[in-house]
Amino acid sequence: MVKEILSGLRVLDFTWVLAGPYATRILADFGAEVIKVQSKKTAKGAESNITGYFNTWNRNKRSITLDMSYPEAKEIVLKLTAMSDVLIENFTPRVMSNWGLDYEKLREVKPNLIMISLSAMGQTGPWRDFVAFGPPIQALSGLTVLTSYDPAAPLGLGYAYADSIAGLYAVLSILAAMDYRDKMGQGQYIDLSAYESMCTLLGPALLDVSLNKQEVRPHGNRSEYLNAAPYGCYKCLGIDRWCVIAVHNEEEWHALSQALGQPVWTREEEFSNLSKRNEHADELDQLLGQWTGQHTAEEVVELLQKVGVPAGVVQNAEDLARDPHLKARDFFTYLEHSLLGSTIADRSPIKFSDDSVAGWKAAPTLGEDNRYVYMELLGLTEEEFSSYVEKGVIG
Amino acid sequence: MISKEEKGGLLQGIRILDLADEKASFCSKLLADMGATVIKVEKPGGDSSRKIGPFLRNSPHPERSLFFYYNNTNKLGITLNLEHPMGRGIFIRLIKRTDIIIETFAPGYLKNLELNFEILKEANPKLILVSVTGFGQNGPRNKYKSCDLVASAFGGQMYVSGSPLTPPLKPFGEQSYYSASLFAAISVLLALRKRVHNGKGEQIDISLQESVVSTLDHVMVRYFYEKVVTKRQGSLYWNNSYCILSCRNGYILLTPFQKWETLIEWMDSEGMAEDLKDDQYREEEYRLRHLSHIIDVLQRWTKTHTVNELFELGQLMRFTWAPVQSLKEVFDCPQLKAREFFIHTEHPEMNLSFAYPGPPYKFSCFSLDRWKRAPLVGEDNVQIYEKELGLSEEELKRLSSMKVI
Repeated sequence: MVKEILSGLRVLDFTWVLAGPYATRILADFGAEVIKVQSKKTAKGAESNITGYFNTWNRNKRSITLDMSYPEAKEIVLKLTAMSDVLIENFTPRVMSNWGLDYEKLREVKPNLIMISLSAMGQTGPWRDFVAFGPPIQALSGLTVLTSYDPAAPLGLGYAYADSIAGLYAVLSILAAMDYRDKMGQGQYIDLSAYESMCTLLGPALLDVSLNKQEVRPHGNRSEYLNAAPYGCYKCLGIDRWCVIAVHNEEEWHALSQALGQPVWTREEEFSNLSKRNEHADELDQLLGQWTGQHTAEEVVELLQKVGVPAGVVQNAEDLARDPHLKARDFFTYLEHSLLGSTIADRSPIKFSDDSVAGWKAAPTLGEDNRYVYMELLGLTEEEFSSYVEKGVIG
Repeated sequence: MISKEEKGGLLQGIRILDLADEKASFCSKLLADMGATVIKVEKPGGDSSRKIGPFLRNSPHPERSLFFYYNNTNKLGITLNLEHPMGRGIFIRLIKRTDIIIETFAPGYLKNLELNFEILKEANPKLILVSVTGFGQNGPRNKYKSCDLVASAFGGQMYVSGSPLTPPLKPFGEQSYYSASLFAAISVLLALRKRVHNGKGEQIDISLQESVVSTLDHVMVRYFYEKVVTKRQGSLYWNNSYCILSCRNGYILLTPFQKWETLIEWMDSEGMAEDLKDDQYREEEYRLRHLSHIIDVLQRWTKTHTVNELFELGQLMRFTWAPVQSLKEVFDCPQLKAREFFIHTEHPEMNLSFAYPGPPYKFSCFSLDRWKRAPLVGEDNVQIYEKELGLSEEELKRLSSMKVI
């Protein structure tokens, strides 16, 4: 069972939207007890418990309600912190300290606490208070303009990739801090910047700028660093159906031309070696596209992979949901939700030899774990609990 | 804050053998940057990823690949021919003192060399083996060849990126390799925790395709819950919440819907709101139906500003806008400078020192006191083979002449 791996680890989770919940979902998937702090006021939009988005990013977590505008809420957070290993938040930098809940204060009740603040820009610097979600982070990092055909028409990715990346870095940082705590007995405050996280994934190109002092320009599916041709995306039979083909060396080139039945153009002088093919890549793409256009993407890919040419189907969401390979690897899993019924989501690309997901559950309803957390864990009496509920502190 | 005197390597004492090519060399870089001891094991002559550009002074050479430089900081480097029986023997000796192996060979390759997990486990029962491949170890496509383009296509990134008028578009850089490496690095730390409980090693299987599908944000959720297949729609975001417009000197990513009243007040104060002031635009439904007109008016307005004016004023009003930066702008960014994101790195053999992107995190109790460039081919052969494994100088010479090392 993958749930055994982080069992015993308790995480107090103040995160919302995507980057933070994506991080705590990974911790919860592997067995950490993640207590998500919500309130009726904040459980809206992406944070409304009964949406597909919420259910996808918050499975295996507990939910409590706590209205941070009440002074009593601060005391409750301190008590919860004392019982937790990790506290994670993704507010803009002033929020936690405005509540009087910065790391210095929290350490008083839990000296070896690991706290991580995941913000757009990091906790310091002239832009520290700036707000951003995934798409602005991608635009800042350079990924948007480089994922285009023309620098004067920036396109970028069609989704919030940067949130997943920041979330992955948050998990990595937390687990590294746990390792340190186990060895050295010390906690840690971690300041993680989503902007910088995204920039680390453009490393080689940033080194090019740093060292060679030249601007990097977009080239569609090719790039100025590429040494492969044909290399690109080609139209196939059907509506909006495409395949990709990548030929890096002579061996793959010969395999490709054989698979095509060695048409005359594959024997042209201008395609006779890799550097010539790179030079005439546009012409090559056009000729290859004429061939792929007569076949389905699946046919092209099966034929080319059989002879050892890297090729792929450009899959959309429906293709992925039906993908026989992903099915054979149990990549999607079903979880029963009390209101949404049977729900489906991706598991984790981290596949242990024993990868049973026994014990996984759908996302919690709002405040589902109030009684467990406040009474069983914190030890509030029935009267204390009811009076907090009545006042709206727990609400 | 806590005194920084008690620093130590965050992952000090963890020993990793990195057998990965370009698909996952970033994985052990992440762990090396956090203080783990990583030994990169390359075939004699150097790893294939040394052939990947960009290159120093644009001149291709195995010791000048910036791709290799970036993905191998803080590692030691040795060479070893695993396909030679003597190389295999040395490898078995090496893994006795190793916690983790990260590899990217085609499924079945290690088994052919009799170096599969069952055999490695006999030499070191606590060994953790992480395999990163295009499609994973099992399933009907496990033997398919992959690369970043293939993983991006099969994983669903491309279909949703690009414009309706263009072919699907692969995200720039080797994003499938980086996301798989992040998952792989997390799996290493998870497996180490599991090992503390049960004392046993572990085998982990990571697929580039699945790593891509796992970082698609709304794409699968929207399909599973609403049966909508997201398509590519240029710079206009799938839910219309962002678009990219040109300014006097560049491009800004902005929200055509968020905080409508504030936005219109701002544009109106400059006499640029046109008919968007009309009451019917206060309704979100109406705005959605007239989105292209709204974008036209916004475009006329943004053209009168510089990118930075809109970015900084917008941020003051809490608009989540951002400039579409080029990498030069990233490199000169005042925020990254203030946070010392770039780290000067010495390349003494070339008399060079230049800035590398550093880690995105700051730990209160830890900072890396060493930051070293990637190893040259076989740079640490003597250190590892003579000082750690106890081979003599003669043996090393003999192995080298037999092309084992």
